[in-house]
Amino acid sequence: MVSDKVRDAMQHPRIRLLTGAVLRGLSGGPGDFRVEIVREPRYVDAERCIACGLCSEVCPTDPKAIYLPKPDAVPLVHVLDDRFCLRARGKNCELCQEVCPTEAIEFNRKRQEEDLNVGAIVVATGFEVFDAREKGSLGYGRYSNVLTGLDLEHMFRRKGELRLPGNDKEPESIAFIQCVGSRDEGHVYCSHVCCKYAMKLAALIRHQSLDTKVTIFYIDLQTAGKGFARFFDDYRGDIRFVRGVPVEILQTASGELEVKFEDISQGKVCRDTFDLVVLSVGISPRTDSWDLARILGIDMADDGFFDTATSVGSNDTGVGGIFLAGTCQGPKDIADSVAHGIGAASRVMELLGMPVQADG
Amino acid sequence: MSVNDMEVRTGVFICNCGQSMKNIDFDALAKKAASVPGVISVTLSSDLCLDEGMKRMISLIRDGSVNRVVIAACSPDSKEHIFRHVLETAGLNGNLLSVANIREQCAWAHKGDVTGKAEELVRMAADRARLLRPVERRELPVNPDVLVVGGGFSALSTALGLSAVGLRTTVLEREAIPGTGTGDKENLQGFDVGSVIAAAERDANIDILTSARIVAVEGVLGDYTVTISKDGAEISRRCGAIVLATGFRTQLAPGSDMPIDDQVASGARVVSQEQLVCMLNNSVLDARPRTVGFVFDLADDSSRYTTLATLNNALAVRARWGSEVYVICRDVKVDSEGAERMYQSARECGVVFLKCDSALKIAVDNGRIAVEARDVFLGEDIVVSCDLLVAEELPFAADGAEVLGSLSGVRMDSRGFYQDENVHLYPVGSDRKGVFCVGGCRGNPDIVRVLADVSSVVASICGLLSPGHIEADIEKVKVDPQKCVACLTCIRVCPHSAIQLMRVEDGKDAAVISDLACDACGVCAAICPAKAIEFEGYRDDEIAAQLEAIGEACMGG
Repeated sequence: MVSDKVRDAMQHPRIRLLTGAVLRGLSGGPGDFRVEIVREPRYVDAERCIACGLCSEVCPTDPKAIYLPKPDAVPLVHVLDDRFCLRARGKNCELCQEVCPTEAIEFNRKRQEEDLNVGAIVVATGFEVFDAREKGSLGYGRYSNVLTGLDLEHMFRRKGELRLPGNDKEPESIAFIQCVGSRDEGHVYCSHVCCKYAMKLAALIRHQSLDTKVTIFYIDLQTAGKGFARFFDDYRGDIRFVRGVPVEILQTASGELEVKFEDISQGKVCRDTFDLVVLSVGISPRTDSWDLARILGIDMADDGFFDTATSVGSNDTGVGGIFLAGTCQGPKDIADSVAHGIGAASRVMELLGMPVQADG
Repeated sequence: MSVNDMEVRTGVFICNCGQSMKNIDFDALAKKAASVPGVISVTLSSDLCLDEGMKRMISLIRDGSVNRVVIAACSPDSKEHIFRHVLETAGLNGNLLSVANIREQCAWAHKGDVTGKAEELVRMAADRARLLRPVERRELPVNPDVLVVGGGFSALSTALGLSAVGLRTTVLEREAIPGTGTGDKENLQGFDVGSVIAAAERDANIDILTSARIVAVEGVLGDYTVTISKDGAEISRRCGAIVLATGFRTQLAPGSDMPIDDQVASGARVVSQEQLVCMLNNSVLDARPRTVGFVFDLADDSSRYTTLATLNNALAVRARWGSEVYVICRDVKVDSEGAERMYQSARECGVVFLKCDSALKIAVDNGRIAVEARDVFLGEDIVVSCDLLVAEELPFAADGAEVLGSLSGVRMDSRGFYQDENVHLYPVGSDRKGVFCVGGCRGNPDIVRVLADVSSVVASICGLLSPGHIEADIEKVKVDPQKCVACLTCIRVCPHSAIQLMRVEDGKDAAVISDLACDACGVCAAICPAKAIEFEGYRDDEIAAQLEAIGEACMGG
């Protein structure tokens, strides 16, 4: 879906998409901002790459240092990955540059600086997925069979089915732990999306095998939203819901995961074992938001997202002509992000008036 | 002379993608392509999508030697728009392009030699190209005025937003005074509806018609004619877009109420959130309730509105009355902006939350209301005895929403609210182009989301109507009036209300498709029993030609 939006933006005659660009400075005011940006070099020219894949074929490293990031990447161009490229280790390999039929690869590109003159600025920098390693007791990063919701989503996308990362077997019992990185001391907010994606993943798991037992540990189930209550109703009977989120996961000698939780119906601490534990990680503010806030002169809210001028979420920052769109302002699901994004466009139109039709 | 009348001269441009498709014999492919009827030129290239590669295509089109283009290259998903643009800048209609995907669906999909399949794909594309017809794109004039249905917060905010971008609106309020139906629903979420009404009444771009309701909606995006009944008379307004902003109403959940007789006898009361707000605002209330109970999220899984109202009001009750507050719910719906913080504040200031999975028992006990619930954390039945119970409410679309929906061509969702065009991608749009839904009437009752809806509908309409015209494909899908038997099948199935029965030239009635309202989904063309509807690019003869090409290629070995 994001790919579709990127494609639409790239093909739009009145949108210029600058990739690898970082904001460095700002001056001026509403209607007449001067924005300084720096563009980091891309070794593969997106305008010339035809995604033929010859470079990837000749690349001698394993894994390949030049590749198509995903089959439906937009733009459909190869990228050079500094982590694996021999040149990054001082070697003088130019195989991909030599084989490229369109001369799209060029190692000697320099960073470029560019000034832009704009009337308004929309900040839509999104969020970071909460790093589950911060909750050390849940074992993410230590136990191979503790995944995040995002890991599981990637696995379904890439392999089309769920297998245990440890032994490639089909799991028989799976636990989801909600609110990992949401609704705690450091995150006094609900991430809006985790209950929905956990339920969606649970539905996919049940679709793969009806024998798989799925348990969801939760604080409050967020079943509001268009059509979600009905979706929830359809799966309610197939999934075991347990109130309260576990705080500790340990791996047993046999490789199973032992989850310690409070069984409130019995009023005591229980232990249950699962083949796989999925952490429903939440939406966190981007850690580099501070840099952007400083350059733009906009405020940050207590929770680390960008602050709005009024208490209810609108698109306006405290600085005229600078607007917010999407999750950089606070957690949102897809529909809310879309509405918020179009809302930012409406604020810009009110400020600048309708664009003059360039080609009309 | 139009392209239709000219002799077909197809140019085939084959790209080997930097010689990366090694499992296709391109010389053989080019030879085969040259033998397809209508093909007068075959060009082999290794970088067709780059400026150098396109040069020959442009010059062949410019000098008139080619009037249909077949491209055998990568997926149309990645480059078709570029090629279409090249055709148009070189002076050929973009619809005269046919793409054979010999990369993703051929060379990359198989191991071993796939020259045969590539030949087949090129043959199919070339046979289809022979039959392609141009589709003209033109700017069609639209009426930039907007009709907003509803007179509450979301309706008037939309009108004010549209006025700010220079668009005029007519606001239809069913009641005699704007905002009557809204009551205190927005006020109790911290919004001043009164000031919005006052601003809208002052605005020269906004015409508010009170005691008015819609009787009929005719026309399409850019040119709607709406018949309105006002004070017993029918008036008509023309507009380019319609916004439904009729809000929502609530009703006490079944079983959460208590007979009025019992309430009077005991002096204890069961109220709604709105009634509570009135009581809170009434400074001369003599007896402040000692204990206030709230119930929500037991009967309704989508209780964002009641959750936010409860959190707001529980805080207000603690602050103004100092009463003990007990909240009984299943889950706290905190997936709204600021809700988690409010929930935290409520607990910090002494509001007690009891989580309960089963039904409540509500009874009068010794002059007070006894609410019996099984608390899941304690595992015990708890009785909350209160002077005032704020009962659970269920949200519903406003009365008459369904009638209005059917008049304006908007479907209802499973809960009786208006259905979005796409719940993720385009939440405020509806199936009918130019008809939008905002706020409570589409099931979004909380104020933050209402405001986002309002801004996004303003931007959408501004983008559509402000220029005064919309560019559209002309007769991409069209009805042949001679073949049409006026059976109305297409009108019934069209999800976009784009087809109308009209009197055509020779006095005959036939279906006519509006170019502005049509979304080119093709449903009508597929279903028409008289085969009177043609969808350019997917006409029966074009598809048949491709199918026949498969057969011929197979026969030919």
